[in-house]
Amino acid sequence: MKLNDSRYLLDIRPVAKSLVDTLCARYAYASLLAVDSCGKRYRIARSGVSAGQDELYTSRGFVVRVFDAGHYAEYSFNALSEADIPAILAGIETALQEGTAFPDNRYEAPADEPLTFSASTEYEVDPEALGDEAILALLRRVREKGLAVDERLLDCGVMAEYQKYSKLFLSRNRDMMQNVMWTSGAVFLLAARGEEIKEYFEGYSGLGGTEALDRMENEVTNVAAKALELLDSEPIKPGEYTCICAPDVTGMIVHEAFGHGVEMDMFVKKRALAEEYVGKQVASPLVTMHDGAAGMGQTATFFFDDEGTLAQDTVVIENGILKSGICDAHSALARHFAPTGNGRRESYERKAYTRMTNTYFTGGTDTLEDMLRSVDYGFLLEDASSGMEDPKNWGIQCMVNVAREIRDGKLTGRIFSPVVLTGYVPDLLCSISMMSETPILSGTGFCGKGHKEWVKVSDGGPYIKATIRLG
Amino acid sequence: MLERIKAALAAQNIPTYLIRQSDVHTAELFFIKKQLDMRRGKDITTFEVTVYHDTEQDGTRGRGASTVHLSPSATAEEIGEALRDAWFAAGLAVNPYYELADKVTADPVIPDTALSALSASAAADVMAGALFAADTQTDAFINSAEVFVTRTRCRIVGSQGTDVTYETCRTEGEFVVQCTDGADVEIFNEFSYDDLTPDALTAKVTEALATVRARAKAQPVLPGGEYDVLLSGEELAEFLTYYRDRANASSVYAHYSNYAVGDAVQGDAVQGELLDLTLCASEPYSHDGIPMVDRPLIRDGRLEMLHGATRFCRYLGLEPVGNYRKMRLKAGTVPLAEMQKKPHLQVVSFSDFQMDALSGHFGGEIRLAYWFDGETARVVTGGSINGLLTQVQGELVFSTEQYADSRYEGPLAVKLPRVAVAGI
Repeated sequence: MKLNDSRYLLDIRPVAKSLVDTLCARYAYASLLAVDSCGKRYRIARSGVSAGQDELYTSRGFVVRVFDAGHYAEYSFNALSEADIPAILAGIETALQEGTAFPDNRYEAPADEPLTFSASTEYEVDPEALGDEAILALLRRVREKGLAVDERLLDCGVMAEYQKYSKLFLSRNRDMMQNVMWTSGAVFLLAARGEEIKEYFEGYSGLGGTEALDRMENEVTNVAAKALELLDSEPIKPGEYTCICAPDVTGMIVHEAFGHGVEMDMFVKKRALAEEYVGKQVASPLVTMHDGAAGMGQTATFFFDDEGTLAQDTVVIENGILKSGICDAHSALARHFAPTGNGRRESYERKAYTRMTNTYFTGGTDTLEDMLRSVDYGFLLEDASSGMEDPKNWGIQCMVNVAREIRDGKLTGRIFSPVVLTGYVPDLLCSISMMSETPILSGTGFCGKGHKEWVKVSDGGPYIKATIRLG
Repeated sequence: MLERIKAALAAQNIPTYLIRQSDVHTAELFFIKKQLDMRRGKDITTFEVTVYHDTEQDGTRGRGASTVHLSPSATAEEIGEALRDAWFAAGLAVNPYYELADKVTADPVIPDTALSALSASAAADVMAGALFAADTQTDAFINSAEVFVTRTRCRIVGSQGTDVTYETCRTEGEFVVQCTDGADVEIFNEFSYDDLTPDALTAKVTEALATVRARAKAQPVLPGGEYDVLLSGEELAEFLTYYRDRANASSVYAHYSNYAVGDAVQGDAVQGELLDLTLCASEPYSHDGIPMVDRPLIRDGRLEMLHGATRFCRYLGLEPVGNYRKMRLKAGTVPLAEMQKKPHLQVVSFSDFQMDALSGHFGGEIRLAYWFDGETARVVTGGSINGLLTQVQGELVFSTEQYADSRYEGPLAVKLPRVAVAGI
């Protein structure tokens, strides 16, 4: 079934249009993004049970962008009626007067090609219809099943969340509406080793409703077993190793190590080494990489971005050659690029930046079994925990929870944890020598720009074999 | 709107609640080099309403809570529906009963600072000017920057009678410094101040420019092994979050932390300095309306208290004191120059230094470090550190030099013994 339009946005549209008309009479360009979103988070852990709206997922408000005499300003607000318009106009004028002591960048007005658009994502099970009681009951079953695995488990935390959002984009020539819903869940098993607590995380996510949580109950026993394995983990001896990365680790490498470097607002600032490598080899010929909200259906799927650009499926790397970056509309103006539908805001209160969406490597032709058999000595890396970008210098920092030792083509059962991946991005990507067939994406996490501006993303890929420095 | 929400709560027969109204005004400047690229502002009012649903089953009392977020545009019907849903959800999310925070009423707390005396736009201009005051050379410069000034007026109203109001005014932002003399490199920096502190920001930029110049000359020559590691500034602050987070009542209640008041948190065989750590109030009231004051967390290495939200403090039989973010550490005993005379690895820039309070593991990728092997000093980049706090906390040595930002005040640097480093 398809999501319905937001009643509020339908009702407020005439007033919003009136505001845009007023702004267009004053300024060479004006646009308005209206957001009406609601999301709930459910969590059960040893600390207790919670169910309620999440602040990041629940908001209703507006941001206008105006272009005046070569420069841009934005103003965010969350009260809109005909009576509010004079105060909004004053707020925009105040924003336009900010920073007048500083020289500013000059831009042309955007093209504002005419477009009328409306679309909604589909779902199987509406979390609101399913209800709080059923969702919490599912989480309780998962938790009890996980805790029953072994008394050494300190906790089995379970979480589910969803967001329904509707966005209306208006400009002189555009009238666009979209309605999107995603759902995700997670299981985190904790086991104590003295003062040290080991944790294993497994995420579940999808575009749509609570059908994304279907696997949680069946898989929690396996997740618990992995947490218990960590009790016998050892610190790794730093060095360069042949590694096989599970899809979640592949996804972290795709996203953190390379993806941030092709965000083209970084090109505008001359902060990305990738700009110099467009058309050149940056990865093994086995590697093809995509980013796009119109690509794989996952938690970062949408129909148009927060600047009114239609979503795309961008081929970033094709057979190892860097083909294109991804771009927001404002940065596109600076460099005369075509925007790729990657202008995203944390909320209507925040600036739009170039942001990734669903980012992944496509599949190869190998099997995981063949990949393991090909390794004399190395590690199978799984359970990615965090990463940090370095677009200027392509340094890698990715944290992985589990490195399983491989010797003579077989897993030995020895586990090392935690592990830091470091090195130079093209060295790692060019060393990829095998890839499994099917890419798997996960969208349980959020991505920041620097240390803020959190947006929902998904990333992933197939199993990959590469040479990686571990510490 | 507040009265409409209270009326809706009464109409729904919801007796216990906490409402938090936030009015936020900002001025935001976004620069590429010295050119202003985008200006923004916002005026937002939001209402966070938590409803509490009490239950009793087989003689055992329970209390559930659920929160909704309302905008001023919400209709009476929408407010009623949201509160009804929250009441229902709270009835399903029931935890052991606890009393809410005690009633508090007080006059509004208004900051009397140079920052609050200026308009947000004017303050943003001052801080942006300070940012670029040190950016005078061509070899190393500010690549891009964001400057925010945020004024927030917050009112907390609770069914138990609490009604407090306070304002905050903060300037924060980030800047990237770049050096093109040598390797073309950059370093990301953040700042946050509760007052108008242009001199502090200019000094921070000056230091950042010196650091990025050093990174441009750094060589990827660090061999792997064990090093005495010096951490400083923001990374030292992050390192200390282990103690703050382990002392949180929610962690103790859930058995994620085994801390108890009186514990020697660094162990019984401390050869280094004993911690003397204070929790600092950075806002007048906690999220659930508890007055916040500076409180001793650790004295002479022993835990003095736990902190945290009302529910978990009540469960542990403690006075609710709120969640604290900022810490202050007693001055150290060894000048940094003394520490630097012995072999060490002083990491001054990581890509993202992290401390995991669950496991005690800390680490990150090295963007710039000064390595002294006892004979030769080198400027190095690359590699990573991967340490375990419980293995080093008995031999901590802190510097006499001081550092301060919005989340930490105290010694500039700490020496950590024999930390594993993955080299190049």
